[in-house]
Amino acid sequence: MLQTTVALSIVAVILIMVNAKLSGRHMEGLKAGLKQALLSIPLIIVAFILAGMLEVLIPREFVQSWLSREAGLKGIVLGTFGGMLLAVGPYASFPIIASIWASGAGLGTVVAILTGWALLGLDKAPFETAFFGTKFYVYKWGVSALFCLGAGFIAHVLELVLLSR
Amino acid sequence: MKRSLLIVSVVAAVFVIVAFLVGGRALVLEGFNISINSATQSALMLFASFIVIGQIQVLLTKEMLDRWFKRSSGIKGIVVSAVAGGLFPGGPYIYFPFVASFAEKGLPFYVLIAFLLGKNTYDFARFPMEASLIAPNIAIIRNLITLPVPIIIGLLAKRYFGNKTIENVLGQAGETDATNDRSP
Repeated sequence: MLQTTVALSIVAVILIMVNAKLSGRHMEGLKAGLKQALLSIPLIIVAFILAGMLEVLIPREFVQSWLSREAGLKGIVLGTFGGMLLAVGPYASFPIIASIWASGAGLGTVVAILTGWALLGLDKAPFETAFFGTKFYVYKWGVSALFCLGAGFIAHVLELVLLSR
Repeated sequence: MKRSLLIVSVVAAVFVIVAFLVGGRALVLEGFNISINSATQSALMLFASFIVIGQIQVLLTKEMLDRWFKRSSGIKGIVVSAVAGGLFPGGPYIYFPFVASFAEKGLPFYVLIAFLLGKNTYDFARFPMEASLIAPNIAIIRNLITLPVPIIIGLLAKRYFGNKTIENVLGQAGETDATNDRSP
């Protein structure tokens, strides 16, 4: 956690310096970040509350048989479609996904949830159908679903290989 | 954002009630403790993440991405579009009108699909949040595994549809007219 904080802080400082040199709009960037933070904080707080409740409520047996590494393909399929149904932005969905990971879900399941959320998320469906039509949405959904399952499967194999060492 | 806040608040309230019914006050407090611990541990990372997000938003202008788009075609076009998608700031109400405006200019379908999937898959401004709110190692693994997805789908689209525009591919002239109604 500390390493990530330090790394992100270094990236933040570098970006401020680059922005100051290239465009001189670094203060505008800080204001944009602050505005985004202020808009997102209520959502993040509520999402943390939801994540905490999920962590104490999700039965261990459910995680063990449906989401854990041992659940294998079941977890990947459930994760892909669970991610699709998680039709809220990253500030709300990431703490929820973190709580599922903390409950003991497998890497394949978590990667499938994340990829399903990113590629299939139902929150994007109205835009995709409105701008490019239902046919586009159906095709994109079909192809993307295969990639979500594939990503989950690769992560699952990766976890098995890493743990077998 | 407001819609998300409403949905998540309602769901959180339901789960607090369920936790109370299942395990009483003790379970609710246990849940709140976990929430407070996670929030405290992530606070500094979130602060740094928002600085990164703000700087990226200002650094990458629509005009810059516009230029990249126009210069590239073929496999280079696919890679450039996917990366440009990942760099493009904002939510669907911003990037869909942007993509639709290029569709109207007759850009090939493969370029547009690579951009859209690049946005969905990479979204570089999202990475700090993914790393800080979930876990850095999961964020890295997920991004590495899905790295080729927009490029593969772009290549498949190029292989099957060549330089056809989205209207030629889907045969839905007129549907992109919705762009004008949805522009922010």
